[in-house]
Amino acid sequence: MISPDPALADAAIVLEGVTKGFGAQKAVDDFHLVVPRGALCGFIGPNGAGKTTTIRMIMSILFPDSGRVSVLGRASALDAKDRIGYLPEERGVYRKMRVGEFIAYIARLKGVSGAGLAKRVRRGLERVGLEGIERKRCEELSKGMLQKAQFVAATLHEPDLLILDEPFSGLDPVSMRQLERLVRTEHERGATVLFSTHVMHQAEELCEHVVMIHRGRKVLDDSIPEIQRRYDPRTILFEPLDPQADVAALGALRIVERVEPAERGCSIRLTDGASPADAMRQVVERIPPARIELARPRLEDIFIDIVSASGNASADVDLPRPAAIDAEPEVA
Amino acid sequence: MSKVLQVAWREFIVTVTSKAFILGLLAVPVMSIVMVWAAPKVFGPGDLKAQGAVAVIDPDGRVNDALRTALDPDSVRRRREQVAARALEQLPPEARALVGGQAIAQAGPGIELVLDERPADADIEAEKARLHAAPPAERPLALVVLHENVVEPRDGSPALGGYDLYVPPRLDDRIQGEIRRALTDAIVMARITARGYDPETIRALVSVPRVRAIAVSPEREQGASVVFTMLLPMAFVLLLFLGVMTGGQALLTSTVEEKSSRVIEVLLSAVSPMQLMTGKLVGHMAVSFVVLALYIGMGLALLAGVALLGFLDFSLILYLVIFFVITYLVLGSLMMAIGSAVNEIREAQSMMMPIVLLLVVPWLLWMPISRAPDSALSVTLSFLPPINSFAMLLRMASVSPPPAWQVWLSIAIGAASVVAALWFTAKVFRIGLLMHGKPPNLMTLLRWARAA
Repeated sequence: MISPDPALADAAIVLEGVTKGFGAQKAVDDFHLVVPRGALCGFIGPNGAGKTTTIRMIMSILFPDSGRVSVLGRASALDAKDRIGYLPEERGVYRKMRVGEFIAYIARLKGVSGAGLAKRVRRGLERVGLEGIERKRCEELSKGMLQKAQFVAATLHEPDLLILDEPFSGLDPVSMRQLERLVRTEHERGATVLFSTHVMHQAEELCEHVVMIHRGRKVLDDSIPEIQRRYDPRTILFEPLDPQADVAALGALRIVERVEPAERGCSIRLTDGASPADAMRQVVERIPPARIELARPRLEDIFIDIVSASGNASADVDLPRPAAIDAEPEVA
Repeated sequence: MSKVLQVAWREFIVTVTSKAFILGLLAVPVMSIVMVWAAPKVFGPGDLKAQGAVAVIDPDGRVNDALRTALDPDSVRRRREQVAARALEQLPPEARALVGGQAIAQAGPGIELVLDERPADADIEAEKARLHAAPPAERPLALVVLHENVVEPRDGSPALGGYDLYVPPRLDDRIQGEIRRALTDAIVMARITARGYDPETIRALVSVPRVRAIAVSPEREQGASVVFTMLLPMAFVLLLFLGVMTGGQALLTSTVEEKSSRVIEVLLSAVSPMQLMTGKLVGHMAVSFVVLALYIGMGLALLAGVALLGFLDFSLILYLVIFFVITYLVLGSLMMAIGSAVNEIREAQSMMMPIVLLLVVPWLLWMPISRAPDSALSVTLSFLPPINSFAMLLRMASVSPPPAWQVWLSIAIGAASVVAALWFTAKVFRIGLLMHGKPPNLMTLLRWARAA
């Protein structure tokens, strides 16, 4: 059933109270999510947090134990598969199949047909810098090449919704940049993009909006600017013009809680209620600056703060993940 | 083209263009040709080479002359050609023309026996010892001790005697057979001569030509073939087996490959599990039909070549197709369910065991069902899925086909088993595809089917 709320009905993805367990363990617990159409949304969290399970439920590959999923206005992704592009975390191909044939096969399954398909495949590969590999067998490609080829397979039908599960894992920095550009291009084309990653700074660089999941529960769901505003750490990064200046003396200021040495200069922690603008003015009056700026909170720090606040100080953004699903998924 | 047909087409094309499939497809005809043409050359009687003496103690002294003649190479060749000719009489003229010359040609050479006359009062134990103790060059192939009354009755008894035959432990049975036939000919000849009869007259009197039966049907009369009657049911079971195994095995391996290569999740983003399952079943069924069409075509051409086509009830081919579809959907879908549940082919072997055992049953029961198609065992098996298809085809191709209602009841039971197998497979397939880690056992599969 489609939500009566017009905002929800128009959203690309709506999850309402979705719960999924494998045996006694809950992989996703009472998860709510709304991804508006046209959004570029990052889905972040440590390994094993429930990202892939959530994405599989969005794709109707798994079904939730309870709750409701709506994709592109349909009650199930099964009804909108041809409008969705999906790059799963566990990337697979027919090893003996030729790259061009594989991409064309997936495109045909997505409803693309016609004599121009071979040309589209060729153009798609050229777009990711893989011109001329159509006749190669998939097993002949490197991991990075394969990943880009699979990105072409996921986007050749120009989907309205693009879901990428850990798209950057295993890529070298150059390929990573190239894939980031391709994701942005898809977004600029008008596609809604949801991509998951456990590497927080990637989401920070690429996304407008971030949803964070930890142990199956949503712990953050906001735009990047709003997150940075809300999680203002009241920290000023200060580098004196004179490297020998006595920055420790800044601790005597009433609005300064403490001064800690940093890589270049120091970081100045302000007291509760202190105005960052006043503090910066007072600091530069005391010591001429080479650089002074308000520290921007990193998602990684925010995540650790959130997890610590929830009583799990040992949480880590690179937690080891289970090798496979050992419980019993329920599939469409 | 619908998604199901897209999946089916890919499965079909990938399979029929693979080297393994093409080699496998050609293997049966090539093996058949080898069996028909090369095997007799390699394994036939032509390869039997034997040379040596047959030591004979003839107390009466009246058999040796006839035996010398009977052991003459020309006599040996003539007798072996007669044996081959009698075997060929069961074949229709066209088949006889095809293989007869070769068989008879190979029947002749190879055995050269000479008579080693031993004294009438020779020590039998010493003669026996020569079979193993004499130098190889002097060692006889066999020792024959003729009874005193072998030609004429003795001591008031009307019975005629025979002979004792002593041979080394590993003497080829074909050489023994040749010695026996020579002795029989020689003893009979000695008895006829002793009584003053004309051997040619006697031979003419006791000889009646063996003829082939003529099968009479409303349409025509044609020479019946025992070989054809016996082999036809087996041929149909073989076709059914080949079709099911070709499709089922390919379903198993392709499903395991898709799962282990992780491509399955990409596919599931484009098609539903049911579409994927249906497409795979349809695709590999088409592959099996290619195999069946080729082999049926070859079989019909062979039958036409040996003028046996008229014996074939063509409706059997239609029933073969019906029973193939039923058996393929039952066993093929179960094999696909196993493929979806395991991580690699090796893990599938143990779970395949029950299915393999089911497929072995028809081979074990071929003879009992063909010989007694209306027995309680045959009738019961015709209604017991999934081997009912094999049993019913054996009965239908036998000399006593079952009534039509039994055939259609078996088809109905088969159709019900198809529904049950597809239901089970759909449940297991949905769960198994994304399952990795410890492979499940059969009980786990049943639990999945109940839970899904």
